[in-house]
Amino acid sequence: MPRSTPRNKKSLWSQTGPTPRLLFGAFAIAAIGVLGLTPREFFGFSVAWPYAALWGAVGWGRVGLSVRPMILLILFGLIQDVTFHAPLGCFVILNLLAYGASAAIADMFDVMNEPLVAILSPVLLFSGAFLLLWLMASTLEDHPVRVLPLFASLLTTGLAYAVLQKIFDLGRRPGELAGQVG
Amino acid sequence: MARLGRSGTKSQKRSPKRLILGVFIFAAIALVLAQSAPQIRTLFNPVRTTVGDRLGGNEGFNAWAWMTGQAKRERRIKELEAEVRNLSRYKAAAISMAERLEAYEEILNLMGEPPARGVTARVTAENDGPFAQTILANAGRAQGVEPGAVALNEGGLVGRVIQLGEYSSRILLITDFNSRVPVMGEVSGIRAILYGGRDGLGSLTDLPERDQFVEGERILTSAEGGAFPRGLIVGEVRKAGDDWRVNFSMAERDGGYVQMIPPPEIRKPMELEVEEPEIAASPAQGARQ
Repeated sequence: MPRSTPRNKKSLWSQTGPTPRLLFGAFAIAAIGVLGLTPREFFGFSVAWPYAALWGAVGWGRVGLSVRPMILLILFGLIQDVTFHAPLGCFVILNLLAYGASAAIADMFDVMNEPLVAILSPVLLFSGAFLLLWLMASTLEDHPVRVLPLFASLLTTGLAYAVLQKIFDLGRRPGELAGQVG
Repeated sequence: MARLGRSGTKSQKRSPKRLILGVFIFAAIALVLAQSAPQIRTLFNPVRTTVGDRLGGNEGFNAWAWMTGQAKRERRIKELEAEVRNLSRYKAAAISMAERLEAYEEILNLMGEPPARGVTARVTAENDGPFAQTILANAGRAQGVEPGAVALNEGGLVGRVIQLGEYSSRILLITDFNSRVPVMGEVSGIRAILYGGRDGLGSLTDLPERDQFVEGERILTSAEGGAFPRGLIVGEVRKAGDDWRVNFSMAERDGGYVQMIPPPEIRKPMELEVEEPEIAASPAQGARQ
């Protein structure tokens, strides 16, 4: 009888199913989003806060399309629209497009195993999302909006995602059973 | 770990989830486009104010603090702190100005401005996103804030209330590109319209062609248009190339609180009914007849 070694022990997160992972990710997005609403100045420097919903859009999209993440992203988008005083629907479009693009890239490439794609894909998705946000904001506000705060938020969103991406990995494709791969 | 690749069978099947995603995106685009009509945009205002109330208006309920009476004490301390902040600001201004003002008013035989009654509120949320630059304060209609109220902090003018909830107010900052504040130079008296620039400084438009501001002079509200009272401090003017730019005073002394005072009330002139006197036939008319 093989003795289980510490190396073979699976972490709690790896044994967690997609639904608890989705809920935990949504909670993380909501918590970081709410924190971002408070004044964020440290020693006189204002901190660019990440657009947390984009983490969910990029991370959840990596396992393919599913209705529950879409609904969560719509909810987060509407909340973002209200807090940013944007026309309702702007951030919904942004989140859903990022989600769809993430799913499309994952469908085309082996995002999990190809390191170059695994790094390039989020970079591309975040950059595209922020470019789209700038375009939408500039069009709807009738003037080119400031790029620097958006760029700072892009950096913090990307850097934080590099650290937190495991939280937004659902582990399995929708409908896929535990242990069933490919 | 084998994933479904480019040649996988999954990609050949059209998933209904793609259709759902497409429908959601299309609906969101339609929602954004529909809001280009102001009538539809205003339909969403109750939703925005309700969410604003939830985000910025209500304090969280803490059962332990309520049971021990700590909540009540903290509330009282906050009220007193707000009062002290108000009083200290007014005290400094009053001491330096009251005597002079009294003398001036006496010389001019002038009716003074009525004292402003305001509501001091904590800034509970702010965003520096790509859309309108606004902050959310935790006082609304229930606390006596009026629509279009003028927001000030220790430095000077902060902005104007553009959305009023029951317990929260959304203030459009004067640093926003879309804000327009009629201003004047304190020394030069030159009038202009101030709006937020993209670099955090204020820009001035509608300047007179010949006159110039005095470098470093204070910029005050001119009260033209009736949206802002006269004489509120906005910032200091600096020459930058060919343009005049304004350093906002409110950014230098931001204590996390704003005072919201009612917008100036411009009363319409009373229309008096003029009774036309009955013209009695004069002897001359009678003679003509």
